[in-house]
Amino acid sequence: VYAFGWRRRRALDHVESEEPTDHELLRRIGLRDESALETLYTRYGGLLCTLALRIVGDRELALEVLQDTFLRAWRESAGYDPERGRVPWWLMGITRNRAIDLLRSRTHQARLRERPEDGTSQPEPAQADGADDVVLRRTVEKALHGLTTVQRQAIELAYYGGLTQAEIASQLGEPLGTVKSRTREAMDRLRSVLLPVIEPTRERKPRD
Amino acid sequence: VTDTCDHRFADLAALALGSLDGRERADIEAHVATCPACVHRLRTYEAVAGALPRALEPAGPPPVAWAAIRAALRDERTGARVGARPMARRDWLRAATWPALAALVATLLVWNVVLQRELARYSSGPQVEALARRPGRLIILAGRGLPGASARLLVAMDGGHGHLAVSGLKPLSPGRTYQLWFVRSGAPAVSGGTFAVDGHGRAWASIEPPASLDEVQVIMVTEEPVPGSVAPTGQDLLDAQSWR
Repeated sequence: VYAFGWRRRRALDHVESEEPTDHELLRRIGLRDESALETLYTRYGGLLCTLALRIVGDRELALEVLQDTFLRAWRESAGYDPERGRVPWWLMGITRNRAIDLLRSRTHQARLRERPEDGTSQPEPAQADGADDVVLRRTVEKALHGLTTVQRQAIELAYYGGLTQAEIASQLGEPLGTVKSRTREAMDRLRSVLLPVIEPTRERKPRD
Repeated sequence: VTDTCDHRFADLAALALGSLDGRERADIEAHVATCPACVHRLRTYEAVAGALPRALEPAGPPPVAWAAIRAALRDERTGARVGARPMARRDWLRAATWPALAALVATLLVWNVVLQRELARYSSGPQVEALARRPGRLIILAGRGLPGASARLLVAMDGGHGHLAVSGLKPLSPGRTYQLWFVRSGAPAVSGGTFAVDGHGRAWASIEPPASLDEVQVIMVTEEPVPGSVAPTGQDLLDAQSWR
């Protein structure tokens, strides 16, 4: 199954092949090429750190998640399935799962309670985004703002909060069916806005 | 798209967001495996989920973050067992010492001798001959309470396939089969395939090992109902517990 302009992107890869594609980097990682992992880190380390920090809310833990993500990418590059989506989505899945595991762990809860509010969790200034990143970021922001408050809440509790639909229903005191319908409506609205933007940039260009 | 599928799109949206519990997730994943319409819808939802973090205020890691990751990676590699994973050629050249190379050559010689013996006995096809020319690993499985039973597992070092030579197992009754398992800590066992032995208690089977054996703690053979089980249910008949 080719989806979202996969073929088109592959055709473009021939033209824009000065930098290795994400797939090529994973292949080289499978051959134990450390420089390939570093290139992958340069491309996605910022995004993954951002995601981890959003979920765990603690910079030190976010960096722990970031390290775990790249070590796992190193160990399990062969487990990446191109049919399941882009390489950054695979990496984000690893980051999110690890971050949510940490979020739910008793150790993490205890560490957060013990941590003083001293401002040490402030993020570093991020690397400047490329033009594609800016367009995508603005589009996603706009799409999220186009949701109702409860729809946005459903998305955030699910994706960043790591809650199951049943847990969200319990937390909000609403029927499970209502939460599921709301989540689907939100995803459908985001889908209609975002897919036309995501499709032409199926595989991310390397950052200069 | 059927009404049933339309009803399930809510679960697909939740699945893409990682927001289903284990039972619900397994249920919808089983449906997706048989439904092209739902596969397509799920991929679009996953695309949306993958774009969500782009809206976050970017928070880059500090410059030392990569150095820490690289240090952890090198610690891990230093602690790794020789031959646990394929290595790039330049890593071989950098890391190999003469004793290590000598050991490697000896291992490959043993590997080829074993395979050539099996080829002579079973006259297997080009697939095995190709395997014999590649770096690989020989793992001995010992019988558990079965005198004379043993197996040799030949796995290509770059994973993906291998062969199993078995002797000393009794032929099974109809409806029963032997099944090879790769048991991982904290994860479901992975089936390497099923096989039957001949009247002399021997088998020569092509097997499908996991891409990586690094997480595998035990390799074993059990007796299972045909066509094989999703998880081991029979007694451990042959195993390699300290095969590393």
